[in-house]
Amino acid sequence: MEHILACIDASAYANSVSDLAAWASTRLQLPVELLHVVQRRDAVAARHDLSGAIGLGVKTNLMEELVRLEESDAKLQVERGRVLLAAGEQRLQEGGAVQVRTLHRHGGIVETILEREADARLVVIGKRGAGHEFASDHIGSKIERVVRASDRPILIASRAVEEPRAIVFAYDASKAANRALERLLNSPLFTGLPVHMVLAETDDAAHRHALDKAAGQLRGSRDVRTTLQGGKPETVIADIVAQTPGAMLMMGAYGHSPLRTLIVGSTTTAMIRTVHVPVLLVR
Amino acid sequence: MPTFASLKSEWLANPRGDILAGIVVALALIPEAIGFSIIAGVDPRVGLYASFSIAVIISLVGGRPGMISAATAAVAVLITPLVRDHGVEYLFAATILMGVLQAIAGFLRLNLLMQYVSRSVITGFVNALAILIFMAQLPELTGVPMLTYVLVAAGLAVIYLFPRLTRAVPSPLVAIVLLTILAFYAGFDIRTVGDMGELPTALPSFFIPDVPFTLETLQIILPYSLTMAAVGLLESMMTAQIVDDLTDTPSDKQREMKGQGIANFVTGFLGGMGGCAMIGQSVINVKSGGSTRLSTFVAGVFLLFLLLVLGPVVAIIPMAALVAVMIMVSIGTFSWRSIRDIRHHPWQSSVVMLVTVIVTVWTRDLARGVLAGVILSGLFFASKVKRLFWVDSEASADGRSRTYRIEGQVFFASSERFADAFDFKEVLDRVVIDLSQAHFWDISAVGTLDQAILKFRREGTQVEVIGLNEASASMVERFATHDKPGADAAPTAH
Repeated sequence: MEHILACIDASAYANSVSDLAAWASTRLQLPVELLHVVQRRDAVAARHDLSGAIGLGVKTNLMEELVRLEESDAKLQVERGRVLLAAGEQRLQEGGAVQVRTLHRHGGIVETILEREADARLVVIGKRGAGHEFASDHIGSKIERVVRASDRPILIASRAVEEPRAIVFAYDASKAANRALERLLNSPLFTGLPVHMVLAETDDAAHRHALDKAAGQLRGSRDVRTTLQGGKPETVIADIVAQTPGAMLMMGAYGHSPLRTLIVGSTTTAMIRTVHVPVLLVR
Repeated sequence: MPTFASLKSEWLANPRGDILAGIVVALALIPEAIGFSIIAGVDPRVGLYASFSIAVIISLVGGRPGMISAATAAVAVLITPLVRDHGVEYLFAATILMGVLQAIAGFLRLNLLMQYVSRSVITGFVNALAILIFMAQLPELTGVPMLTYVLVAAGLAVIYLFPRLTRAVPSPLVAIVLLTILAFYAGFDIRTVGDMGELPTALPSFFIPDVPFTLETLQIILPYSLTMAAVGLLESMMTAQIVDDLTDTPSDKQREMKGQGIANFVTGFLGGMGGCAMIGQSVINVKSGGSTRLSTFVAGVFLLFLLLVLGPVVAIIPMAALVAVMIMVSIGTFSWRSIRDIRHHPWQSSVVMLVTVIVTVWTRDLARGVLAGVILSGLFFASKVKRLFWVDSEASADGRSRTYRIEGQVFFASSERFADAFDFKEVLDRVVIDLSQAHFWDISAVGTLDQAILKFRREGTQVEVIGLNEASASMVERFATHDKPGADAAPTAH
């Protein structure tokens, strides 16, 4: 059955994720699956034993010791996860989510999210994980891997969110952007929200035409504005986002191969990093 | 293509722990490389170059991050006759061929064969390896002055007692340093590493082994290469499993096989002997906090660094110190628990384990030991499963027909009991063989059923076979003769 997958951990983003998931749930009338993945501390590296001496039964003893170390830590993490999930569930219900299911799993965060997103219409995730709490203006490495590998729309929560009241649509005429446009037209998630389409390119006839054509599809059903302005996409769009109260940024994700982005840098990553509102990425 | 993130997690998850662990491991690699070069009858240089090259290459191309591979006891004990009869150049050639064979085995996915190696065989392998390592120390311990024993005992005492003082320094290193200082300044007349042959003085260089490229050469090296490849892969797969279990992380066994192949192939050209993963050193690595490719890489590089920079110092290390370290590796490799478990485990498991150990120690060939263990565990398995077979029969009221109900597993081991279950002497018009609860596994079972049916027919009895389940039916359809043209009467349908 289709649902919204909301992924939380012990970071400050857990609340924003719950709020956004509740908002999406009300609009899409879909249940929410609230996922927390238990992260275990790696005991192998945690033992400070450089004695290098191995005696009788070393394999069994070492195994038992590692299991003991990880067991107590894992128990703690599991308890913590339960508390997180309970808090998230309550927040979702208060936010008006249709139905909430919690899911507590062991394993790699990225792998688990990719495994669970098969039935998800939308994945909601925080901008950074617990490991990157204080690295401001930075996108978590796990988030980046999820975004690259996922084929679902991903809603990335910023630290503080308010209910989205307007949509800033970073339109670049790419395939992914056109898919995003399609979604904007059809999905109940966006019904009634005003849209501000932005194309960060030089103001010429071709760009103007592309932008107007796309905007034309939206007109009629809602309030649409367009901006065509040259400059770096991350500055142009970030400025408009900052001027729009209650904005949610929407964009097509990752036009380039991972290898190319490694060399030339990625607009998508830069954008997620610089704006401080929720970002919806469409593949 | 490996992603940036996976590269990072396989190399830089915990650089500090990995670098320290790599250094600790390098110290445990030196005695094994030197000791087993001597066993193999080559200069210590050959083993040390091999350990450097294998460790560094496997850290790049292996499939099990955190596992240590280098020149090993298991391979070294195999090659003594080759070096003695044909010289060291043939060893290099055999190592290159060993690498090629291992890479082929990797492409053929022979790692899947490990499924057939039972736990008892693995325990036997590990114990046999520990015994081989210990036995290899015996030449250093026989016909030597009393002083050697004292030094070895002192070395072991330091190794095991020093960690109670501090765990921040590798105790094998402390033992080696203390014994070296003592022996050097006291002027003991005992054997040192320098007496054993040439140590490396420069980086290894790339050359093609000086052997004639003829069919005769291939005939000489191929048997050695095959055994070396098999033993190397066996130990590597088993060690990978141990590291998987200890670190609770998965590994790519097929990639590891190919990686072992590449490492040995290159090592042969660098003037090194063949090697594989090492159980003892891999455990030391994990114990010291190493879990990524970086620690294996550091172990290899630091080993060479030690030798090039401290070469003259290494030469004065007394052999007794290295013997002590190798006895420690032997003790750490041995599965102590298996001795305790002999009494609790089924006797068949213990027999398999002991046979693996005995055959290995007898032949000095781990591959033969494992083969013996695998065959034996297969036999034991067949003899256990054949007991899952029951027959009961019921005569009809008029005594003219009888129904045989067969239950359980019918295969080569149980087919004799299957045949014996029928009473052909009884005079009957009709026999029903109900196989609905039976499972036919092989052509022995089908052949026995055929024979029974034909025998009944010759007595003039009509036979009906019912209830063959699907798997059995397909076996019977493909291999049975009783319902094919040429059988003497048309059977009833089943």
